[in-house]
Amino acid sequence: MKKNKLKKQIVITILALFSSSLVFAQGAAATASGTSQANSEVYNSLLSNGLIFFAGLTMLGAVLALFHLLSMMIKVQQIKIYQEQGLEAYQEKIKESQEPLWKRQYKAWTNVVPIEKENTVMLDHNYDGIKELDNSLPPWWVAMFYITIFLGVIFFAYYHVLGGPSQADEYNAEMKVAEQAKAAFAATQANQIDEDNLEASTDPQDLAIGKTIYSTNCVACHLANGEGSVGPNLTDEFWIHGGGITNVYKTIKNGVPEKGMIAWSAQLKPADMYKVSSYILSLQGTNPPNAKAPQGEKYVPETE
Amino acid sequence: MAQVETFYYDNAIVRKFTYATMLWSVVGMLVGLIAAFQLIMPDLNLGIPYTTFGRIRPLHTNAAIFAFVGNGIFMGVYYSLQRLLKTRMFSNTLSNIHFWGWQLIIVLAAVTLPLGITSSKEYAELEWPIDIAIALVWVVFGINMFGTIIKRRENHMYVAIWFYIATWITVTVLHIGNNIEIPVSATKSYGIFAGVQDALVQWWYGHNAVAFFLTTPYLGLMYYFLPKAANRPVYSYRLSIIHFWALIFIYIWAGPHHLLYTSLPDWAQSLGSVFSIMLIAPSWGGMLNGLLTLRGAWDRVRQDPVLKFMVVAITAYGMATFEGPMLSIKSVNAISHFTDWTIGHVHIGTLGWNGFLTFGILYWLIPRLFNTNLYSLKLANAHFWIGTLGIAFYAIPLYWAGWAQSLMWKEFTPDGFLKYGNFLETVTQIMPMYYIRALGGTLFFAGTLVMIYNLIKTIKQGAFIGDEAAEAPAQVATADVHKENIGTAGLSAVRCKC
Repeated sequence: MKKNKLKKQIVITILALFSSSLVFAQGAAATASGTSQANSEVYNSLLSNGLIFFAGLTMLGAVLALFHLLSMMIKVQQIKIYQEQGLEAYQEKIKESQEPLWKRQYKAWTNVVPIEKENTVMLDHNYDGIKELDNSLPPWWVAMFYITIFLGVIFFAYYHVLGGPSQADEYNAEMKVAEQAKAAFAATQANQIDEDNLEASTDPQDLAIGKTIYSTNCVACHLANGEGSVGPNLTDEFWIHGGGITNVYKTIKNGVPEKGMIAWSAQLKPADMYKVSSYILSLQGTNPPNAKAPQGEKYVPETE
Repeated sequence: MAQVETFYYDNAIVRKFTYATMLWSVVGMLVGLIAAFQLIMPDLNLGIPYTTFGRIRPLHTNAAIFAFVGNGIFMGVYYSLQRLLKTRMFSNTLSNIHFWGWQLIIVLAAVTLPLGITSSKEYAELEWPIDIAIALVWVVFGINMFGTIIKRRENHMYVAIWFYIATWITVTVLHIGNNIEIPVSATKSYGIFAGVQDALVQWWYGHNAVAFFLTTPYLGLMYYFLPKAANRPVYSYRLSIIHFWALIFIYIWAGPHHLLYTSLPDWAQSLGSVFSIMLIAPSWGGMLNGLLTLRGAWDRVRQDPVLKFMVVAITAYGMATFEGPMLSIKSVNAISHFTDWTIGHVHIGTLGWNGFLTFGILYWLIPRLFNTNLYSLKLANAHFWIGTLGIAFYAIPLYWAGWAQSLMWKEFTPDGFLKYGNFLETVTQIMPMYYIRALGGTLFFAGTLVMIYNLIKTIKQGAFIGDEAAEAPAQVATADVHKENIGTAGLSAVRCKC
């Protein structure tokens, strides 16, 4: 008797689900014909609003029907447990189904045999007194393992099958952005340096900035007064790579890597290299004590 | 049923390795502390080349890994292997050759590294004569271990032993693979690999030194000493099988994540990242099996310092093995690479996992070896808190410093120049963090000293028994057991047992 009633309910639920999909099909047809017949915006909006309302209603109905179906199936399951395993198991099942959702979820995702019942999963292992339970793998752990494997496959496929950016692509893209930002900034700046027609600055402000740059970057090798130690003496008339503002500027810009002089263009902007060059030339003839012996050739400025 | 035999466990060799572990824990951590202080007081090398940071640092890593943790492994293996297999070690002579050989190697390392004799490969700095000595002593250990396994009185091998075997096999392959080198003199050699291939082999080795020297043997120790100390059954036999095989299979591929954004081909870098991500679950399998074994024993965790140390150790293991895969993701690695974040990450693993698990084992083992109780529970608890604080004060500032370094290194001026072009600018910025880190290291070291005092007091009040009697049925060949089972209960019974 009870079983028959259950069956009837299931049939009704399935019918409800089926009819809801029919309604969707009708709605879709209505949209298609509606647009071709009338162009009135009012009509369209009415139709679409109505459709949305109707679709929502159907969905709601479908969800309710599904829940109904689900709860019936759970009941069927409980009855089955009662019939097959007796009252005690049935009551426990009922108790479980009344637990809050998070607790049921927690149990499902950890799947632990409670300590009181651990004898049911105790193996006959005994290693120097150590026993082993046979608890199942925690489902959340298994899920995590599968997800990481899945992510690994996706990751590899994206970069090496589907043509995701290589590290060189990433670098080039970033450099391009940086170049654009740099150019945009440079356009807002005055006093660009014309490297082909340099003239040493004598502006005290320029020289002061040049001195600051010099004492930050150059003193380690050329010492505080330009007397030279690892690097050559900068105060005499002798130059290894040519004297005068153009040569000095170029030496600073490009460096002499084989002798340990780095290319400063990577760290100083042109205006700063110009200022420090001018400052260095301002040291000419200062004759600091303990200066390094002259190196290179005597530089005679070309006269025009 | 086989006849019951009486035999003796060799506790003398365990005691030797225990003393060595205690000694090298102090030495390794002290040298590390010196290195930490040198970063805030560069003059601490006293103006001599032998004590400069570049030489002290590899001395610290070698002492901590191979001397402290190495002896810790052997201590635990020699104690647990005999008991899990119900037999004495295969050979007393080999045990002693292993012990003295290993100590000799450590002394040689302590001499050559400050002298600047190095192959300059991280964690493989020792030069070729010492490499050969390591290989020989390792083979002696292998013969001794497999000999013991062969003559066992227990048919089924417990999971701890699988971890020991995996350790032995893989470390053999790693050590030989990364140290194939051509000697040019008694103290200098050059590796046969060059360029990026050398780098790849080096980090295949370097990463798996972490995996198979700092992780798998310690998981084996955890599987023995944790259930013993907690007196609880292991949570899941199934989990132990799955995570063991998953771990050793996946770990060996993860090395290239040390070479992200280098000249290593992109696909190899991705392989390292992908395998690192897949490593989270296998690593956590060990953590879960450890922590869940404590189900029903958490009330005792509050009182027993041994369990306390082990819980923090396993938690640190879980944290480090989650953080590691995160650092292997390229976009995270772009932040962390070359920064002090890496050092912080490593020390969660070494101070937390290796350090605290070793401490837990020492506090459990020494009273049993000497047939007494721990001298002072109070001191052990104090050690626990000092040590935990030490780890926090060590790691957190380095995470902070790592982020500061990364942000500063990547900051550009509108002209497109590095804002902090001079490396010193980042160094001076993170100096306060280095001070706090040195404080953390000091705390951790102080805790260790407290432990050493406590353990010496315990040893003095106890009575050592070198040969501990035990009884077990004589071994029946495995095939015979199976025949017997098939004969009596049919094939399904055999399946159940295996």
